[in-house]
Amino acid sequence: MKEVLKTNNLLIGYKGQALMPEINVSLSEGDIVALAGPNGSGKTTLFKTLSASIKPVGGEVKLFGKDLRDYSPTDRSSLFSLVLTEKPDDLFLKVFDIVAAGRYPHLGLLARLKPDDEQIIYDSLETVGIGHLINRNFVSLSDGEQQKVMIAKALVQDTPLIFMDEPAAFLDYPSKIELVNIMHKLSCEKHKTILFSSHDLDLLLRHADVMWVVAPQQPLRQGTPKDLVGQGIIDEYFRPIIAKNEFYWMK
Amino acid sequence: MSNTFEKRRQAPSIALISIAIVAVGVVLFVLNLMLGSVSIPFEEFRKAVFGGEASTYRAIILDYRLPQAITALLAGIGLSVSGLLMQTLFRNPLADPSLLGISSGSSLGVALVILLAGGFGGISVSTLALWSTFGVTLAAFVGAFLVLLLILALSTRLRSMVSLVLVGIMIAYIAGSVTDILKFFSQKEGLHSFVIWGMGSFSNVSKAQLPFFAVTILIGVVGAFLLFKTLNLLLLGERYAENLGVNIKQSSMLIILVSGFLTAIITAFCGPIAFLGLAVPHIARFLFRSSDHKLLIPATAFLGMDLALFCNLIARLPSFEGNLPINSVTALIGAPIVLWVIFHRQKVLK
Repeated sequence: MKEVLKTNNLLIGYKGQALMPEINVSLSEGDIVALAGPNGSGKTTLFKTLSASIKPVGGEVKLFGKDLRDYSPTDRSSLFSLVLTEKPDDLFLKVFDIVAAGRYPHLGLLARLKPDDEQIIYDSLETVGIGHLINRNFVSLSDGEQQKVMIAKALVQDTPLIFMDEPAAFLDYPSKIELVNIMHKLSCEKHKTILFSSHDLDLLLRHADVMWVVAPQQPLRQGTPKDLVGQGIIDEYFRPIIAKNEFYWMK
Repeated sequence: MSNTFEKRRQAPSIALISIAIVAVGVVLFVLNLMLGSVSIPFEEFRKAVFGGEASTYRAIILDYRLPQAITALLAGIGLSVSGLLMQTLFRNPLADPSLLGISSGSSLGVALVILLAGGFGGISVSTLALWSTFGVTLAAFVGAFLVLLLILALSTRLRSMVSLVLVGIMIAYIAGSVTDILKFFSQKEGLHSFVIWGMGSFSNVSKAQLPFFAVTILIGVVGAFLLFKTLNLLLLGERYAENLGVNIKQSSMLIILVSGFLTAIITAFCGPIAFLGLAVPHIARFLFRSSDHKLLIPATAFLGMDLALFCNLIARLPSFEGNLPINSVTALIGAPIVLWVIFHRQKVLK
């Protein structure tokens, strides 16, 4: 399988302080990897480092064999797309406008949409099942619908790699399953590589193929949910959090 | 396939609103030439403009009203586009061209020229009259540009937009209090002409200066339009914009440069015109129900032209002796419109 992303002795953190030991992981074409860890474990920091928002404290991130920071912002826009927890809040922003903005890296100076581009926008909205919302104002949608709009935006950007930060947050259970299905569809049909983060253990253990587990000052561990549970890693990484907040009626 | 989709938005309605806005602009422009302390009947107006014979009416129209109307429409265009850029960059509906302290910078420049010359030099303002228009324009321009350069220099050292706004507001306060101190120590005549300057006017641009004024505004507006992709992407939030290829720092500087350039030029020639830059982008977004800058920038420009021409007309309605201060008119006309938009848009968005 073609290698998409690889980290060499990557140290993540802020102001020269590493959050966890060196990270050596890789993603291949079509992989769906879940990044799991309790709140405050460094998931978002890892995301920001892998998506070139912040500099690594040490080591390097290779994207298609080249250092991430050697790409220009324009180059990067055609290599990976983002789905974030922060959402646009402009009152008159339409679903179509947001998804079309995802197409900008492929358009010229005047951002004129060719019929092909419009077709790609319609198809992406259909893929995530919100074709009927195309003319709606973004702020008037539910959290789950807004999430799908941002995924459609990532799809029209047409990048081999997609990062999704907490895509399942705010979703009800059926929508979470739908999201997992969408991700598998993208991986199988379009050979997209997806890295998504979540603190929803229940969802991850049932539906993730491969997990990367992080916790503060612990090395990143990877494996299938089954192996990670079997080796006691899930227990070890999530327990300190649970133990600290022990339910008072159990004492 | 497209039958599963609702038709994408109503191109005709966009075209209709656009035509209406331009038509209103043309009517207002003609009214600006016809009405005033001397009202010119239509037949006389037609003769004066197209007849070619020298007459009093022709002189009033061509030498006085035409430059004023053109100045008003250009200032309206520039300030409104400048305000739109600020509102999008800072993602704040209250942002306007004066946000970064640029107009305060020009006020300080003008205060130095009018008040210091009047106060300490012992020269009365009337002796300054010969070079005053030019001197005041130059002082306002230098003041505004120094603040703009300061803001641009500081913007490279600041990480967040909020800090930049705070820096702008602080610069405005400093410039404002120095201006106040100058006012305190100045003489009555100087103070009077400074206050008059601060009320804004569209009649200070001479026929000779008009082409320069027009070309600079045009450059600014075209510059703003070329930034529309970046502005649209910034609406998604900085991280999304960055992921879609926007260099945040460089783009913010460009947006501040274009917006500040427009504000500096207009404040230099017309004084600090309040409210147009804040109000017009809101009206444009509401009328077109859109946040797409490819549409919003031209829409804001033409609506700014309409509103400025309308305010200019109100400011010298036949019943008034001379002109009302333009700043009191812009807020008086603009504020109710913005209030109406805010209350009405709640209904629309549901």
